[in-house]
Amino acid sequence: MTTPVSAPASGPASGLASGPGPAAAAAPRRVRRRSRTWVGWSFILPNFLGFAALTLVPVIASLVLSFLDWDSYSTPRWVGLANFERMIHNDTFWTALENTAYYAVGHVPLTLCAALGFAVLLNQKLKAVQFFRTALFFPYITSLVAVAVVWNMLLSPDMGPVNQFLRAVGIDHPPGWTTSTTWAMPAVIVASVWRDLGYYMILYLAGLQTIPAELYEAAEVDGASGWQRFRHITLPSLRPTTFFVLIMLTISSFKVFDLIQVMTEGGPGRATLVLSQVIYREGIVQGRFGYSSAVSMVLFVIVLTITMVQFRLQRRSER
Amino acid sequence: MKRHLVTTIAGAAALALLTACGGGSSGQAAADGPQTIKVALWNYATTPEFKAIIDGFQQANPQIKVEPVDILADDYQTKLTTMLAGGDTTDVLTMKNVIDYARFGTRGQLLPMTDQAKALDPAKYSGLKAYELEGKYFALPYRQDFWVLYYNKTLLKQAGVPESKLQNLTWADYATLAKSLTKGDGQSKVYGTYQHTWRSVVQATAAAQTGGNLLGGDYGFFKDQYAMTLDLQKSGALLPWATAKSQKVTYNTMFSTGKAALMPMGTWYAATLLADTKSGKTKVDWGMAPLPQRTADGKTTTFGSPTAFAVNKNSKHADAAKKFVEWASSEAGATAVAKAGVTPSLQTQPILDTYFGLPGVPGDALAKKAFKPDDVVLEMPVGDKSSDVDQILTEEHELVMTGQKSLDDGLAEMSKRVKNEVG
Repeated sequence: MTTPVSAPASGPASGLASGPGPAAAAAPRRVRRRSRTWVGWSFILPNFLGFAALTLVPVIASLVLSFLDWDSYSTPRWVGLANFERMIHNDTFWTALENTAYYAVGHVPLTLCAALGFAVLLNQKLKAVQFFRTALFFPYITSLVAVAVVWNMLLSPDMGPVNQFLRAVGIDHPPGWTTSTTWAMPAVIVASVWRDLGYYMILYLAGLQTIPAELYEAAEVDGASGWQRFRHITLPSLRPTTFFVLIMLTISSFKVFDLIQVMTEGGPGRATLVLSQVIYREGIVQGRFGYSSAVSMVLFVIVLTITMVQFRLQRRSER
Repeated sequence: MKRHLVTTIAGAAALALLTACGGGSSGQAAADGPQTIKVALWNYATTPEFKAIIDGFQQANPQIKVEPVDILADDYQTKLTTMLAGGDTTDVLTMKNVIDYARFGTRGQLLPMTDQAKALDPAKYSGLKAYELEGKYFALPYRQDFWVLYYNKTLLKQAGVPESKLQNLTWADYATLAKSLTKGDGQSKVYGTYQHTWRSVVQATAAAQTGGNLLGGDYGFFKDQYAMTLDLQKSGALLPWATAKSQKVTYNTMFSTGKAALMPMGTWYAATLLADTKSGKTKVDWGMAPLPQRTADGKTTTFGSPTAFAVNKNSKHADAAKKFVEWASSEAGATAVAKAGVTPSLQTQPILDTYFGLPGVPGDALAKKAFKPDDVVLEMPVGDKSSDVDQILTEEHELVMTGQKSLDDGLAEMSKRVKNEVG
């Protein structure tokens, strides 16, 4: 059933080879192919070693740790599925999972739409377009702590300009935002959309600039409206970019940690507690590396599943 | 075999990651030269007692050189845990809180100091008892902080309130006084009091003064303290918790800029006020009174936390390290700590005189009474559940203080969660 490695050399192609004969020609070709393979390997080897040491080994170690009870001091103890069992019965885990999903459902579409909208807008020949592009990208490269502090000031319940504005327009009791269980997550989502949209806008701008201008010219000649041009030319042409943006946004949404940690520390109560914070608290703060690894494995499986589903849907839509 | 292999790989991998963050080993002692011991501590430049202890010890023991291993205060616990997990040999370890001390002690990370601890007089050493782990000691306290009531003398004078009124203040008197001291509006508003966002301000006070157990799972004893605090917040005499939290307001800003007339806070704050007064950062004329009580029977019960030094089990210079720990908690060490404006664990009359003799320290009868509470209860009882309970109580505290949950619902939820999630 298996095809011998040397099969192609003895097949019809080998008959076309010049030289003393099929067997003699196949040998140098094999050597050449092997040497090319090694050259290829040598290129990816440093990267692969880095990946193995910094990603693959920790992931495998984390998988193994999820079946252990280990506090970094005592001898690790095999506990089988006990960490996963504890997780299933732990209210905090389910709250964090729910909050993570809430954050992703808010953050992914809002960032995607905002990034696409601004990219289309800033792809026009406008005055000071470079300034606006830079201004929108700026939050992405700004220190995250600074972003969190600025948003906390804007959203301060008493003295923040947002609530001062709301009071000025007649809303007497505006929300406490980051100190309200109802509004803390929307507040965090808005801050993170503001921070991230510049990066994804740049990706969309790159995508937009690959669309041939003739397509728009032809559509205009045919009398297509602006909306029709956007719907039938821009959106389909940007499908690969959208797919990439969607994957990246989904992964980053499920892994969110830093902005929430600085803005709300998961509070008030557990209103903005996400899975990454549970992993941090259980592992680093409480020293329960086994349980922490079990939660990180669940997060890994969720992200992997969603990514695979997105890939499958993308492939189906391409057919 | 397979299980063993898997366990070893996991342990090795995780340890490899952890040790990457750990410190190096301490230098070898020369046979006849001076020994060098390393002391793990935090924020060396801004924590004056560390320098005072190290300088004093080196003067008394010139053959031993002390090298501080400075770690950021916020990262201290995590870093120390990681260092110890990686087999670090830093000789002396500062025990920032008793919960971590209990973890290190029970896991065999520290050298026993039972004999040295039992030689100390527990009546004179505030906080010594907190370090007893099943009859053994692994650290000696050198510092003991507890909570007092700071007040702004000028604001009290302006309101015509004699300082003697703070002598036997009940919480009800405190609330009435705070409301009467509140004045102004907007940016110029002066609050009658400031209570920081930490849950301990309400919860540890209630536990200490009612005898309630913070790990017990029944939190009805919090009710009066929360009711008073929420009422102060509602009346405008206390900066709203939500504002303080979202703005990351510091208690030092509130008090040292004269925005708050009263403020319950730990004794450590006196050192900051002394330093800020000396450098001209604050002009507030401040005083210290005993923490308000539930009843005006003249007895003062407050809460606090001791700080101690311990010797790492992996220390290569254990004898020299032990000598350092003993010196820090001795009369000479306590005097050095007091001179730095910090409250030492050993509180004899000469040491108290040293402290009150410092320029800027209020030396009146009120301050002296504040400094000699009848009972100092440990801020959080030591146990394997302390950390988990602390997390739940903090989360529920936030919800009660922001009005997201009624007081009764919040207390019920605290009890329910601690019983269900911690057991």
